[in-house]
Amino acid sequence: MVVLRILFLRVLWALITLFAVSFIIFTAIEILPGDIAARVLGRYATEEMKAEFRRMRGLDRPMLVRYGEWLSGVVRGDFGDSLVSEFNVGEVVLPKLRNTLLLALYAFILYIPFSIILGSLSAVFREGVLDTVLSSLTLIGLSIPEFVMGTLLAFIFGVVLGAFPVVVAINVARSFGEAVQMMTLPAVTLAIAMAVYAIRMLRDNLIEVLESDYVRMAILKGVPMYLVVLRHALPNALVPALNVTALNLAYLIGGVVVVEKVFAFPGIGTQLIDSVFLRDAPVVEACALIISAVYIVANLFADVMTILLNPRLRTAK
Amino acid sequence: MDVRQPDNPLIEIRDLTVEYWQGERWNPVIEGLHLHINPAETLGLVGESGCGKSTTANALLGYRPRGARYRSGQVLFAGQDLLRLSNRALQRIRGRQISLVPQNPTTALSPGIHVGDQIVEVLMVHRYSKTVREARERTLDLLARVGLPNPPVIYKRYPHQLSGGQQQRVIIAMALACDPQLIVLDEPTTGLDVTTQAQILDLLMDLQGSYGLAMLYVTHNLGVVAQICTRIGVMYAGQLVEVAPRHVIFKQPLHPYTQGLIASVPRITAPKQVRSLLLKGLLKRGELPAGCPFAPRCDFAQERCFAEKQHLTQVSDQHAVACWRWQEIPSFAQRIAETQSAVFQKCETAGCKAGEILLKVDNLRAAYTLEHRRPFARPLPRVVVDGVSFDIQPGETFALVGESGSGKSTIARALNGFIPYVTGELRFDGKYDLTIPVDKRARDLLRALQLVFQNPDASLNPRQRISHIIGRPLQVFFGLSGAALRQRVEALLEDVRLDRSYYNRYPDELSGGERQRVAIARALAAEPKLMLCDEVLSALDVSVQANIIELLADLQAKRNLAYLFISHDLAVVRSLAHRVGVLYWGCLCEVGTTEEVFTPPFHPYTYLLLSAVPEADPDQVMPEARKDIGLIVSEEKPACPFALRCPWRDPAHCHDEPPPWQTLSRSHMLRCHIPIEELRQHDIWADRFRRA
Ligand SMILES: Nc1ncnc2c1ncn2[C@@H]1O[C@H](COP(=O)(O)OP(=O)(O)OP(=O)(O)O)[C@@H](O)[C@H]1O
Ligand code: SF4
Ligand code: SF4
Ligand SMILES: [Mg+2]
Repeated sequence: MVVLRILFLRVLWALITLFAVSFIIFTAIEILPGDIAARVLGRYATEEMKAEFRRMRGLDRPMLVRYGEWLSGVVRGDFGDSLVSEFNVGEVVLPKLRNTLLLALYAFILYIPFSIILGSLSAVFREGVLDTVLSSLTLIGLSIPEFVMGTLLAFIFGVVLGAFPVVVAINVARSFGEAVQMMTLPAVTLAIAMAVYAIRMLRDNLIEVLESDYVRMAILKGVPMYLVVLRHALPNALVPALNVTALNLAYLIGGVVVVEKVFAFPGIGTQLIDSVFLRDAPVVEACALIISAVYIVANLFADVMTILLNPRLRTAK
Repeated sequence: MDVRQPDNPLIEIRDLTVEYWQGERWNPVIEGLHLHINPAETLGLVGESGCGKSTTANALLGYRPRGARYRSGQVLFAGQDLLRLSNRALQRIRGRQISLVPQNPTTALSPGIHVGDQIVEVLMVHRYSKTVREARERTLDLLARVGLPNPPVIYKRYPHQLSGGQQQRVIIAMALACDPQLIVLDEPTTGLDVTTQAQILDLLMDLQGSYGLAMLYVTHNLGVVAQICTRIGVMYAGQLVEVAPRHVIFKQPLHPYTQGLIASVPRITAPKQVRSLLLKGLLKRGELPAGCPFAPRCDFAQERCFAEKQHLTQVSDQHAVACWRWQEIPSFAQRIAETQSAVFQKCETAGCKAGEILLKVDNLRAAYTLEHRRPFARPLPRVVVDGVSFDIQPGETFALVGESGSGKSTIARALNGFIPYVTGELRFDGKYDLTIPVDKRARDLLRALQLVFQNPDASLNPRQRISHIIGRPLQVFFGLSGAALRQRVEALLEDVRLDRSYYNRYPDELSGGERQRVAIARALAAEPKLMLCDEVLSALDVSVQANIIELLADLQAKRNLAYLFISHDLAVVRSLAHRVGVLYWGCLCEVGTTEEVFTPPFHPYTYLLLSAVPEADPDQVMPEARKDIGLIVSEEKPACPFALRCPWRDPAHCHDEPPPWQTLSRSHMLRCHIPIEELRQHDIWADRFRRA
């Protein structure tokens, strides 16, 4: 089966990429300026104290050795201990990761129907009022950074209308409903930021497909327009849009960093920024590796979907 | 309007004017069109590319493409005007009462849906079948009805898993699904092999009888309409210039354009062709006179023609023509008789010395890729052309014919050094070995061997002027420049009958036929000895084709040029080639002079090919007994490649023993187990191929 072979190669490739990325992350943090010992022990620590600290934490050994140790730990799911808090990195990062994933999921659930519906409407009624308005809006959306958009939304809905909390203290949410309400503004911000690309992309793809012979054929055999779009046009227009969605997924996990900061959301992004500030190498490494992994998996997922959605590949022997 | 209306037409177009938004304004592409289709008749609509045939077909479905508008007119069907119906009302008619078979079946089927489900969809949206189950059953019936083997298997196929012919059958099944009253067929067989086309035509003729449904058959192929249509309408520049029953159109056409068109069609049974004097120039959409659109090209045009619109006038019960001079114009038969003196002559090979050989191809094998037959075994080339031998003399046209996929183009590419795996002896002009790839060839060889492609658009750089395109080989090969270069380019333009005004133009300001001439001029600039012409006429209209055929023959006579002419159009080959090789599945099965190959005795495959060509003459009916099953390719090639499909195969040895080459004359050989004597006596060769 051609498909299985392609899939196998793709997965293998993803693993290799992940491995390479882990090395790059580790090296990058190694050559990052700033001294953890000075950070942790404070300004008045003597050189001997700092050396002792490094020796205790094993920081004085060659980098490759430490990388090997770290990697073998990572493979077993152990990211080591935080240099700052002495907790295991897992304990620090996991709750944050959970928060972020919840936020991402929420944003994603908003994003999918939002982009499909608006993208389709724009394409079907192209050059109409709706399309023109949407095109201008997405163009504006493309040009504002998400922290501006987040601040704007926070200002309008949080401060002026008071409908949603502006600071998301998710840990104190008392019920699921409250958690959802708290996460709405950041989720909407993320969803909009992603949808802006997806709507444009889907619109363009769909217009191309709507001009195709098979769509014309479907219209000329008397199929109602909504069915033409749903059955014949959308499935074929979505395939290329999948790649955007993969990039979006990847963005989601990275863009989350900025948006989390705007809303003071206790997620992995906030954690990453704080840990970089503290020079807490193991935590930074863990966060960066997780974000990269999500990125790679998202791309892998898009490729796999593209392969599976393509009848030519699916049926090849 | 003095066109007599029938009592009860099924559908009627009245005074239709359609405009397209072209560049910055609305241009009419159809003006004041009147047309009706009677119940159960097949009306053919023919005309050159761009004359508005597809636009008319769209109107019959009430379909308005983007950028088009209906300026005036009506399309009356069952008391309603389709151009004014709501989308919802149109949905109920399309696919139910009027259905469409479009030109390209490959792109007309949704790529991600099982073909069976696409038929079920029509049945369900029109509530023709009550339940999905009923619809599935009907779909299976329909698939069987259109001659597809094993309907349950076909049902579950995706479009890309079917051949072009099978796809078109599926579309026809889809069109038939709800028992419509009218099927609009827009070039349904263009792009299919002759053999596949013949099968589809058979199917359509069969349907004509059994369903009593009406068809509009749009095509530029006059052979097809001659075979299948009851009445024929001829369009020119968006207007209907003549309508009549098919015998009248082919035997007594009155309009000068119809006369020219009919005379331009190459005939497979008539080797010599009337010189295309009858149609000169080209349709120039932008420069149409206010009056008769044909006036700029008409031999009988008078001042009044340019000024006055011509309306269809009834000249007899069934015959209408849009030319006020129809009574004064000499009859078709008379005009043909007058031009007989100027009958088109193939250049005789007298120029070349007997035995002199320009290109010798011996046991050519060519492959694009390697293939792993068994794991760990050494990969072998996947052979596409398998042991082909022929030779070409100077000044001679050798044609290769065969269905698509038989390896014709691969041979041309191999000669040009574009194929990675080539073996065999390929000797050109005595001294050059053509097995070496193109990038290692001597300049002299590159010059002497030129290639012209099917699609001139793809091979001409749109950003270069014509002068530059033709001048380039002159600079490279002969170091010409300045005034000498210009003079030479102009001489070449003249050779391909383009006047000086083309010198500074860009390719996209030219028509398809003109671009093909530029491509030919560029090849000629190198002063080649052999030109490889791969389907150079396929994309062109008959009148343009006729011009280029003539041009090629003239050039050959003047320059002692040899052609390897690759074409799937057997009629063109007959009118142009001196010798022909018939190719099947990468092997030659017959070689001989054109006369020998096109007259009995035939190789079984040659016969199948020839009998599939619809002749542009309603009296030459296509042979009935053609139960051809179509191209079959399996993993293992039998000893005679044609054995899987040959109606005369002998299971005793055709599969296992390679058939011998049998010699019929010094120039004629064919490869078959059936002894020549038996082939000669075969009574199945239809009379039409017997030498007159
Ligand atoms: N969408 C379009 N926009 C602008 N002009 C168009 C469009 N479609 C067709 N035309 C023009 O309208 C004229 C008639 O086109 P039409 O497709 O009906 O021709 P046709 O007879 O079917 O030609 P062919 O044999 O090449 O299919 C041509 O001059 C063509 O260039
Ligand atoms: S009307 Fe005049 S120009 Fe037109 S076809 Fe007749 S004779 Fe020719
Ligand atoms: S060798 Fe046999 S199978 Fe081949 S063409 Fe002759 S009769 Fe047919
Ligand atoms: Mg057309």
